[in-house]
Amino acid sequence: MTAVEWGLAGQLALAGLGVLAALAAPARARVGLTGVLSALVGVAGAVTGIVVLSGGQGRLSLSTSLPLDPMTLEPTALGGFFMLVAGAVGVVAAVYSIGYVHGAAAARPVLAAFPAFLAAMQLVPAAGDLLSFLAAWELMAVASTVLVLAEHASRAEVRRAGLWYAGMTHLSFVLILLGLALLAAHQGGTSWAELATADPDSATAAAAYLLLVVGFATKAGLVPFHVWLPRAHPAAPSHVSAAMSSAMVTMGVYGLLLVVVRLLPGGPTWFGVVLVALGAVSAVYGILQASAASDLKVLLGYSTTENTGLMVLAAGIGLLLREHGAPGAGDAALLACLLLVASHAAFKTALFLGAGAVLSASGQRDLDRMGGLGMRMPVTAVTFGVGALGAAALPVTVGFVAEWTLLQSLIHGARPGDRLIAVVMPVAVAVVALTAGLALLTFVKAAGITFLARPRSEGAATAREAPRPMQVALVLAAAVVVGLGLLPGQLATWAHAAVEAPSAVSDTTAIRLARIDAVLVPLAVATALGLAVALVAALASTAARQAPRRAVDLAWGCGGVRSSARMQYTATSYAEPLVRVFDQALRPQRDVEISHRDESRYLVEQVHFRQSLHDLVEARVYDPLLGFVMRVGAVGRRIQNGSIHRYLGYSFAALVLVLVVVSW
Amino acid sequence: MSLAKLIRLARRSGRIAEPAPERPEPLPDVPKPLRGSVQVRHVDAGSCNGCEIEIGAAFGPVYDAERYGARLVASPRHADVVMATGVVTRNMEEPLKRTVAATPRPRLVIAVGDCAKDCGVFRGAPGVVGSVGEVVEVDVEVPGCPPRPEQIVEALRRVTGR
Repeated sequence: MTAVEWGLAGQLALAGLGVLAALAAPARARVGLTGVLSALVGVAGAVTGIVVLSGGQGRLSLSTSLPLDPMTLEPTALGGFFMLVAGAVGVVAAVYSIGYVHGAAAARPVLAAFPAFLAAMQLVPAAGDLLSFLAAWELMAVASTVLVLAEHASRAEVRRAGLWYAGMTHLSFVLILLGLALLAAHQGGTSWAELATADPDSATAAAAYLLLVVGFATKAGLVPFHVWLPRAHPAAPSHVSAAMSSAMVTMGVYGLLLVVVRLLPGGPTWFGVVLVALGAVSAVYGILQASAASDLKVLLGYSTTENTGLMVLAAGIGLLLREHGAPGAGDAALLACLLLVASHAAFKTALFLGAGAVLSASGQRDLDRMGGLGMRMPVTAVTFGVGALGAAALPVTVGFVAEWTLLQSLIHGARPGDRLIAVVMPVAVAVVALTAGLALLTFVKAAGITFLARPRSEGAATAREAPRPMQVALVLAAAVVVGLGLLPGQLATWAHAAVEAPSAVSDTTAIRLARIDAVLVPLAVATALGLAVALVAALASTAARQAPRRAVDLAWGCGGVRSSARMQYTATSYAEPLVRVFDQALRPQRDVEISHRDESRYLVEQVHFRQSLHDLVEARVYDPLLGFVMRVGAVGRRIQNGSIHRYLGYSFAALVLVLVVVSW
Repeated sequence: MSLAKLIRLARRSGRIAEPAPERPEPLPDVPKPLRGSVQVRHVDAGSCNGCEIEIGAAFGPVYDAERYGARLVASPRHADVVMATGVVTRNMEEPLKRTVAATPRPRLVIAVGDCAKDCGVFRGAPGVVGSVGEVVEVDVEVPGCPPRPEQIVEALRRVTGR
């Protein structure tokens, strides 16, 4: 057995042990034991991924009782990269769960679902054929549904979110099943190698491509299939949201890459255009909704849509450029796609885990009721801040490295002679620029309103720092964000191997995109930034020494006193100008109620202002669709109303019908 | 008004500011950060608006106190000098104290007008707490009911030393 085979078998065995521990261990040791075993599942996945990326090979066959070929696990370099990402996220989330899980989330079925979920996420990219892929995919879907529903007994919105999630995730499964089945029926085989021989220009391939794109886009949370994301994330426990957002959602991106790079390579141009359009719309729409959201986890959920949008945009650009005479820039775009996957996994883990620590400490999800947590939870504040820097793609974080690569590929991919490319590239640059700007605003809001100023509620005022295992996980995630941001070379080397891009060479400290002549040395950027900051600080301190400090005895409150914490800047007021600018796209509902005093209409007693944001896609697409389905269901219910007499009547009628048909 | 019109108007009306009078004797102990130029926040602690009209005139084009480095600002956070007018009424006592406290130190307080100096004709009236000097520490007093703009400008020049 090779190292890869040992790794795959080890993951399966450890996941089995984890499930067993969750179900059978005594109550006191249950959470800790399951957490440790889940972390080991993640370690096994990450190590296997690294071995695969360094050229290791292996093939694990699992025979089934089905009359089909045995299921095979045979990870390629692309799968290895996603295995590494999912495993690393799994380790951090599992360590966090040791300190975090309590109450309903510590129930045995929920605990048992976690290691199974982690293992399933690592097996999806390892799958070497259709059957094992679908089996792992379904295990991932079912286990995550159980985890989302952890707090179903105490919170009604969890039950609704669970329904949405189960519906959407199975819609995704069915579409993927159909798409793969179409290809498999056409090619007469189930392994990826057999499916890959299909002619990408045929009608079957086109139909399968569309089905697969919609299926994987649903999993990846792309607009307009994103509706489950902002519901499932607030409902799930935070370590689960972190694993779902950082690893499971990117499995949708893996699926898309699997289709365009392995199964149907060299497809027609519209393959790439579809991906670019989906990605661009998702990126802008996701970050717009995130910038207006005032629930911390909804904000992070929408930001996930933005990030997967950027990944898919990069993948689509990569396809287009490879076909249209700019293979160097195309390789860079695919590399950017994988770097975005890794960076998103790192910072989104830090952000969701930080959000979980804030939530459990303050009991608040509404940003407008937080504040002042920086003093009370310093570790959480710093690590969340690092995650926010990553999400805003600022230097010294891995998010910057990824977006730099994406922009390099877009700029160097310009082909004025090619009409399609000449249109797509500037639009893509504009989308990335707008997204980056709005992401900066969004995460200034998320970190600033949560951790700075004075507490806006009782819960925020009495918050305590998270327990030790949670702190360890948070620091781990933040260290990865900064570490990969400073030394991205190894990650880039692995990503090159995964997309088979021969053009780029990297050493530990730098990314070199040789064929488009671009080099990034993050350490140099960090040094320059550090020097600039030191210079400004030195100038400021010199200036301060020359002009003596002038003390103020009292904060200015226009002659009154600003004692109420409600008079501070809130998330809603911070986002207000933006919501006004994008009024047409966001369509907020505002209600202003003014009550007057009895004595005179000119004296105002109270002003009530309420603003709510509804997802436009949901209101325009899903609500009518669901209404239609409900009406059809109501008709169906009239036929099947539970009356035994009516059912006997049906069977009698059916019998008569059969007799009539037979005697004809 | 277009720029050309504005220039024509300025040329037609010529210089309307009064020629600068003799420089008054500067105050002996003006803190160093305040020398040369000060930002002024005005507080009406209960004035009849007579002093306000004269302060408006002092900062208008004829007397032009800005020539001597004094400038009115909107917030005490930007100010070096608090300029208080009128008797201090019951409702304005606390806001006046807070305005002075919100002005960065070192700061000066100028009491403008007889009411601010010693309550003037309103001494002992209901609702009056006292003169400005009885509520906060006053550094410069400008007498008069109302004081002439020249007197207000002179007091400011004694602070700026110009």
